[in-house]
Formats: sequence, C-alpha cells, structure tokens
Amino acid sequence: MRKICLFIVSLLAPLAVCAAPNPEMIVVCYPGGSVNVKDANGAMSSMLRVVERVGQWQENSFNSVFSTKPDECRKLMTEKNPKFAITSLGLYLELRNQHNLLPVAQPKIKGRTSERYRVMIQKDKYKSLDELKGKTLGGTVLEEPSFISKIVFAGKYDSAGFILKPSNQAIRALRSLSKGELDAVILNEQQFGGLGSLHLEKPLEAVFTSEEIPLMGVVANSVTTTEEERTRFGKALKEMCTDAEGKKLCELFGVESFVNVDEAVYEPMVKLWHEGK
Amino acid sequence: MKGNKTLSDARLLSAILILSFMSGCAGLPRDRVRLDRLSDCPNQTADTLSAEQNKLGPLSDTHALACALNVLRDTQDHAVRRTALGSRLCLHLAERELNSEKREKFATEGVDFAEAALAQGGDGDGAVHYYLAANLGLAVREHITLAMENLGRLESEMKQAVALSPDIDDGGPRRLLGALYLKAPAWPNGIGDLDKALELLEKAVKDHPGHPLNHLFYAQALWHDGDEASLSQAKAEFALGEKLLAEGNWGYSKEPWQKEFAEFAQELGESGPSHQ
Repeated sequence: MRKICLFIVSLLAPLAVCAAPNPEMIVVCYPGGSVNVKDANGAMSSMLRVVERVGQWQENSFNSVFSTKPDECRKLMTEKNPKFAITSLGLYLELRNQHNLLPVAQPKIKGRTSERYRVMIQKDKYKSLDELKGKTLGGTVLEEPSFISKIVFAGKYDSAGFILKPSNQAIRALRSLSKGELDAVILNEQQFGGLGSLHLEKPLEAVFTSEEIPLMGVVANSVTTTEEERTRFGKALKEMCTDAEGKKLCELFGVESFVNVDEAVYEPMVKLWHEGK
Repeated sequence: MKGNKTLSDARLLSAILILSFMSGCAGLPRDRVRLDRLSDCPNQTADTLSAEQNKLGPLSDTHALACALNVLRDTQDHAVRRTALGSRLCLHLAERELNSEKREKFATEGVDFAEAALAQGGDGDGAVHYYLAANLGLAVREHITLAMENLGRLESEMKQAVALSPDIDDGGPRRLLGALYLKAPAWPNGIGDLDKALELLEKAVKDHPGHPLNHLFYAQALWHDGDEASLSQAKAEFALGEKLLAEGNWGYSKEPWQKEFAEFAQELGESGPSHQ
C-alpha cells in the first residue's frame, strides 16, 4: 500500500493549466507506514515532476506533504485543507464529512479493487478470534484501531479486546508471531500474498478473514474542487498507466490501472463506520 | 585498504531508495569516459600498479587514479584483471565525479571490470563482488527501474562479499548490505528488512568502530527502529561517527560524508531534542 500511495501521488494533476504562484498542496496519509517521511516527501516531489512532464504541465505546479501518523494527518487535513488527498480508508471514513471528501480513483491490483484482511496465528494454536481476546495482536494496520473494529471486524469484535502491538514492520511482527512473542498478527492483502516468500520457523494460518474491503485511492474535497477538476484528475490517472513511461511506473508498483470510483462503492463501509462499536 | 570504498555507501542509499524517482532510462552507458592528460602519466605497468595498489584510494589525486585506470584498460595481464583493482579505481573516480553522466560511465566501467574479473576466475575474491555491487549501485542510482531490476543482484553480490571478505574497507560489505536492507522497499514489496539491517550494521560497528559511516548507517537503522531507547542510541552512534569524521583524514570522501551526516542530523533533530 505504501508504494501505491506514493505512486498515486505522483499522478496528481495540478489544478490549473498554468503554474500557480503557490503550488497546490496534496496531503498524503499512510498510517503505520515504515517509510521515512523525508524520503517520501522527496520522492513524491520527484514523482510529481515526472507527471508534470508526462502531462505537459508546468513544473512545480503542485507539491505534497506526507505523514504516517494519524494525528498528524488529521492536523494536516485541517491546516492545509487540500483539494486532493490520499488517505487510508479509515481516515477517509473518519474525515469525509468534515472535509467533504469524495473518492476520485481506485488502483486496480491483480484485477481487484478490493482486499481482505486476515488475522494470522500459529497453525492450530487458536480456533477463533474469540479465543484471542486478551491476547497480543500485532501488525502495521493497528494505527487505526477504530478501522479494525468497525470495518475489518465489521463491528463484531472490538480491537480494544486485544492487546494491540502496532508495528511499522510487517515482517518483524510475523517473526514475532512465529517465535511465539505475539499471539496474532493482522495482515492486509498484499502482506498476506507475500507470506510465501518468508521462511518462518512455524507455519501460520488465518483464524479470521474479513469481507471484501474496497481499496482507497485519491479523494477530493467536493466543495473546493469542481466536477471538471475531478474528472480531469481521474482521466490523468487512467492515462498514466497507458503512457510509455507511466506504464513502467505502474508495473513497478504492481498497479494494473486506475479506475474511476463511485462514492457508492464505499457506502457499505460508511454504514459500518457509523454503526460500528 | 582503509576507506577504500567511500561515498558509494552514501550514494547507494540514494540509489536504492525506491522513492527517489527520476526520469526513466534506457540502460547503463556503454562508452567509457575519455581520460585527460595521459601524456603526463608516469611509466606504469599493470604489475607495478598491482604491487602498489594500496596506495590508490580516497587520498590519491584524481590524475593518479586516471593514469592507473588507463594502464588497466589496456592490460591483458590476467592476474591483474582477475582482481578488484580496476573496479575499485573506477569507483574512486566515479565517487568524486560531479558530472552525473561521467559518474555513471565510470561506475559502469567498474561493473565491467568486476564482471571480467569474475569471468577470469575472481569469483572467490570478496573484493570483486564488493566493488561490483558498489559500482552497480552508483550506476543505477538515478534510474529507478534499473535500480529495482538490480536489487536482487546487488543483494547477491553483497552477500558474497560478506561471506568472503567481510573486513575489507572497514566492514564495507556489511555496511553496504545493511544499507541496502535499510533503504530498499520493505517486505512484501521488496527486500528491505530493518532487522537484517540492524544486525549487519551493529556487527560492522562492533568489528570496525573506526569508520564514520558504520556509525552513521547504524544510527540511521536505529532511528528507523522508532522506539525511545533506539533513538537515544542512534544519537550516540551519530555523535561518535561525526567525531571520527571530523578528526580523521578521509581524503576526497570527507566532504560528501559530511553532507550525509548533516542531512541525517536534520532528521534526528526533527525526531527529538536538537542535534548537538
């Protein structure tokens, strides 16, 4: 997801054909990410220059700011009031009303625009999530416990019932699980898909698998952007993966394409968010 | 051999940053840099260079390195071509070259020298693998697709260098491999692995405490670790490395290393008390 976030930000189109005196700021939030903020900001700047070249926009028309901390993200969203942002699904659900957020585009990965989360345990150690109550749960996605409770667990389990051990290193959490230092680790789809490449001491299995959860991409402030701007932006995203240079970047990040997304895709998530414990 | 591989470490950090997107690239440059003032070079042979190769390093002036490289370009001496000397000279020249095009050409030539050495039986020499990786990292640093394509090879060559010659260049193989694991995209997207980085860099510091970059890179790994104890240790390692850099004679390496330290000092300062 980290790479996807960084990729998406590189595709953000400036909001005007001519360069603005002050670049338009894009807020990028990646809770729980292990990426160095300085590296990420520098990289995004470079990536934006690629997009500007590809899209024939004036250089330095826009800029970005990156954070891996949810509190900082909330603050940035308030302070910068960005026209476009890249957020986690949890932050989108939390901030959508406050900042009039409207989904603009989703990445498609391996033919899918959604993912499942899984709670992994040592094979045969526990039979259900209920048995894990009061036990340690690690992972990179625990920076947003409300998202875990309301969306991943669909309100059926409260993340507060576990001893949460957030980590910015998924592989470290899995090693701890394999050694018995953690009782369970929660993984997103990408992480689950990568398990085959690890050589852990003990075999793991999923004791819980979530329902399909839509991938989050780029959101726009529906009040400060126009329909035309949002459409243009979505078009730029789609064209990026068919452009000669952009295609390389898409392949590099494992993104097949970008698709326009209807807000309705997230409605079940919004419902869960409001109904959730 | 102290300080033989120098700012390639720092530059490799940039090279392997998945995040440092630059423009696309077609591949490594295949033509060589034209060397100047060769008529001023002393009479040298591959044999004499080989015998005195330890004198060629970060403290050597650029013309002396160019003269030596010119000799090696033309030599058919298999014994010399089987060593890491040509690759190492290219690295020194590349590191101090400000023009990026020339830098990549020197580094690519360094890769070629190392590959030729491997082809002629140098596979058991850790230095060949080490300088191959260092040059390769430098050559691809501004080309993200090439960098990503070569991550596996970088790792493989560095691992062989660690296995065969862990102590060359003051623990250079562990330092470089540790830096690779620190900065490469993390699992599941890449080979990046903070635990491996910490282990390698701690060992590099322990075995070779006199090299500033061992402390700097270990400090960076500790800083990425994130907890308070690690941050405190990172600051201590940083201070030690900075002191070693200030007090030592590191030749042409000193200036770029100072820049690396200054950049990390800023990050350290942002994550806690101001850097002292």
